Amino acid sequence: MSNVNNSNNPNPTRAFYNKFFRHAQGAGVKGYSNHYCPGCGHGVAQKYLAESISELGIQDKTITVSPVGCSVFMYYYMDTGNTQAAHGRASVTALGHKFANPGSVVISYQGDGDLASIGLAEIVSTAQLGIPITVIFINNAIYGMTGGQMAPTTLMGQRTSTSPNGRQPIMGAPFKIAELISNLDGPVYVERVALFNAKERTKAKKAIKKGLKLQMENKGFSFIEVLAECPTHLKISALESEKWVQEKMLPMFPLGVKKDLFAEGAEAGAGAGTGATHTNNFNLTAPTFDAKKVFDIVTGGNDETVPRYAKGVFPKHLDPKDVSMKLAGSGGDGAQTAAMLIAQSAINEGHDATHIPSYGPESRGGTSYADIHVAAEEVLSPASPTPQILIAFNGPSLMKFGPTVANGGIIIYDSSVVTNAPSFKQAKVYGVPFAEIAVKLGNAMVKNIVALGALQAASKLYPEETFLTAVKTALKSKPKFIEVNEKAFREGMKAIH
Amino acid sequence: MTANQQKNPKEKAKPFLFSEFCKGCGRCIEACPKNCIVIGQDINTFTGLIPIKISLENCIGCSLCVNACPEPYALAMSTEEMREREEREQSKNKGAGATFSDPSEMFGLDKSPLPKAKKAIDEEMNLPISGPQILKGNYASAIGAILSGCRHFYGYPITPSTEGAELMAKLMPQLDGIFFQAVSEVATVNIMYGTGGAGLPSMTFTSSPGFSLMVEGISYMIGSEIPGVFINIMRGGPGLGNIAPEQSDIKLVCNGLGHGNTHAVVLAPSTPQEMLDLTMKAFELSFKYRNPVIVVADGYLGQMTGKVILPKKLKKPAIPEWAVYGDKEHRANLMCSIYLTEKDLEDHNHYLDRKYDEIKKNEQMADLYKCDDAEVIIVACNTPAQMAKGSVADLRSKGVKAGLFRPMTLWPFPIDKFKTVLPRARHIVVVEANSSGQLEDELRLNLNRSQVTVHPPIHNVRRCGGILPSQQEITEKILSLKLKEV
Repeated sequence: MSNVNNSNNPNPTRAFYNKFFRHAQGAGVKGYSNHYCPGCGHGVAQKYLAESISELGIQDKTITVSPVGCSVFMYYYMDTGNTQAAHGRASVTALGHKFANPGSVVISYQGDGDLASIGLAEIVSTAQLGIPITVIFINNAIYGMTGGQMAPTTLMGQRTSTSPNGRQPIMGAPFKIAELISNLDGPVYVERVALFNAKERTKAKKAIKKGLKLQMENKGFSFIEVLAECPTHLKISALESEKWVQEKMLPMFPLGVKKDLFAEGAEAGAGAGTGATHTNNFNLTAPTFDAKKVFDIVTGGNDETVPRYAKGVFPKHLDPKDVSMKLAGSGGDGAQTAAMLIAQSAINEGHDATHIPSYGPESRGGTSYADIHVAAEEVLSPASPTPQILIAFNGPSLMKFGPTVANGGIIIYDSSVVTNAPSFKQAKVYGVPFAEIAVKLGNAMVKNIVALGALQAASKLYPEETFLTAVKTALKSKPKFIEVNEKAFREGMKAIH
Repeated sequence: MTANQQKNPKEKAKPFLFSEFCKGCGRCIEACPKNCIVIGQDINTFTGLIPIKISLENCIGCSLCVNACPEPYALAMSTEEMREREEREQSKNKGAGATFSDPSEMFGLDKSPLPKAKKAIDEEMNLPISGPQILKGNYASAIGAILSGCRHFYGYPITPSTEGAELMAKLMPQLDGIFFQAVSEVATVNIMYGTGGAGLPSMTFTSSPGFSLMVEGISYMIGSEIPGVFINIMRGGPGLGNIAPEQSDIKLVCNGLGHGNTHAVVLAPSTPQEMLDLTMKAFELSFKYRNPVIVVADGYLGQMTGKVILPKKLKKPAIPEWAVYGDKEHRANLMCSIYLTEKDLEDHNHYLDRKYDEIKKNEQMADLYKCDDAEVIIVACNTPAQMAKGSVADLRSKGVKAGLFRPMTLWPFPIDKFKTVLPRARHIVVVEANSSGQLEDELRLNLNRSQVTVHPPIHNVRRCGGILPSQQEITEKILSLKLKEV
């Protein structure tokens, strides 16, 4: 049903389908009636929701998310976009819709089993986020669809099929969700309403409409808890169930506005929970697909082609096809950066390269190893169990990996921290004081570049310009560090005799 | 209620009961200030229920009864003219084979048909020409997603997949896209359900324990036919296991995507380049089949840096005609995995089966390395496939005719291609990084289902706990097979 309302029609228009084709294929009376038991509060709340959608003129852009429980079949009735969500997840599914189309109006309509039990993490985090969606929370103090089990909002002493002797203290107290949500920073509007008499029903309709309006105006997250009747599982008549809500539920779940940053006369920010509040913070521009812009963003603008100083000649003196290396040290030694620069150098020369880091479990100061391969055509196995070149930044690394270096290989270690290195007969060993040289240059951080210089001089893997170009490219955004790195590289080279 | 106010001052609107739609709950009785309504006595022949009875004598037309009614179409406000028209309709419908009247007249409904969305076509734009980039596997995958048009990233940090999320956190705001760190993996997959349901590409990076939490949502996505791409950088398990590489989830992604009849294309890259290429393929397939797609990599591959060449084009996705986007064109659409009647659900599963068959027919991918004359076929994927590739080179230099069969889709398993290498094969060696032989199980299941009952012996090289099978281990195992005796 859309917004057409002929002048002679006294009925409010409502965003319900003309006929409920999804309800038992629309057969018989089911095509025009809902699946709810006689007297159920859901039908009343949904009617107000459907009326509000029409009155606000938002039917075309509304998406209704219905989860699991008695709210599951909302999509039978609401003539809006419809998504049926997993149990408890409606609020985050709604979030997914809102992120996809910030101009849509997204409603998450959830019952107490769904929202207040299995979906607690989702609703609390979504509410705190403050993104403008509207959550309608139907609290009838019981699980309906599964057949009258205890809900998180079941009252103390209330008998249900899973609290046959009444809800006991061991089962915890009923969850006051509106109060919980209103204490979060995210929401702009939280109210608890009821349906048990005409006066409360008028307020309920008004609250639902207000929640949607706040979303339309991009004001923020709104939450309306509706105390509803479930006569079937309370095993009383519809009229008795209205009285039950009034007499039994109200003392535990007091009605009223719990938070409203946009109440008439309220100052901005008044009535907030704790700390900062989000208001009007969701103003997304359409994503970028401009090819040049996307390219610059994903590559960091790296579209330079650099000269091949080695003219594409592979360092066959080290290996005919594939040189394997290992850089080993502690976190902060710069082993990974140096490894990346070696791989970059090889790729700039038109070769293939891989680099695999491995770390100890510590966030800082643990072991930090890098396996590198440089291959003429394709790196096959990227691990370096028997490297041809080892750079060790400390004693333990040298002791651990020195013996694994291949026959005829090269070992370079930091002689400023390893003072009595053992001899490795299978390899050529160079002690270079990485750290000492770096400190002399006034920047201890560049010891890995000293090591890189030493590697170049000892191995002739690639010409020095190849490495220096890689270093300069890496420092494109920090040009003031280029000079000290260049010096470090040359000092490293000089240290190899 | 302004809309309820009488437009014609000569005539007061009064309630009218469509008794077929009244369940007789009596909520209107309490609502009426003039006590015009009572519990009825007569059973309605259509419903077997007893509707309420209204007498309009004292009615003041306040409409409170209508507002109290939980039914959409049971009570309406009506003018005398409307009532008379409706009563004429109803009297016509009395007797055997009678029908009840459509309330749309009385409610003044717009009878125009629901909007129908048009088929939309994705745009493609040329990217600048560039040299090779040097990228970490996780980064390459993230960039592949961006070039596929993904501007919605949701995730929860978990090692060793986090670099992907971190890069997205940096890039998405620059692209005016969304990066959102969810409260959990459970929330992540359900946000993807919403965004995918709205017809837009979305993705996540996760690792084994996080992926376990997502399978409920993946089952819902499959049931509702919602696309989305999951990059699972597999790590050692079970339980917390460790953060080192394993191929521990092959069984889960191929045969355990949550409850019900669920399958998704599973892609297995083995280099940073393929992390990009297969992530892009994942988006393409995800929308082609309206189904989630899983990319599985091991922790090694996620962390590994290598040479990556960018594609020539980037995609700007259109809103598909089936989407629940939140606009007029798509208003009639529904995302739903409920099929309440048994036959409907059976039909839906048969429909999904046909889709799975279509995928099996069209999308099997494998890379065959030196398999043409191979007598020893190594089967491996992800980083172990790279180790195996090294081993093939070793073995060939020792005169062993070895080749690598590398499935790039684990589901569907590329069994058709595998059958082409079987006639020459004398040994099959499955190399994998898990203790139970999950890839081998996929191979055996697919051989069996393809009626291949006679095949060479299947050997294995398995390491786990974060240790990958090494090139040397693979070579040694194959050399130990006493190849000549076969």
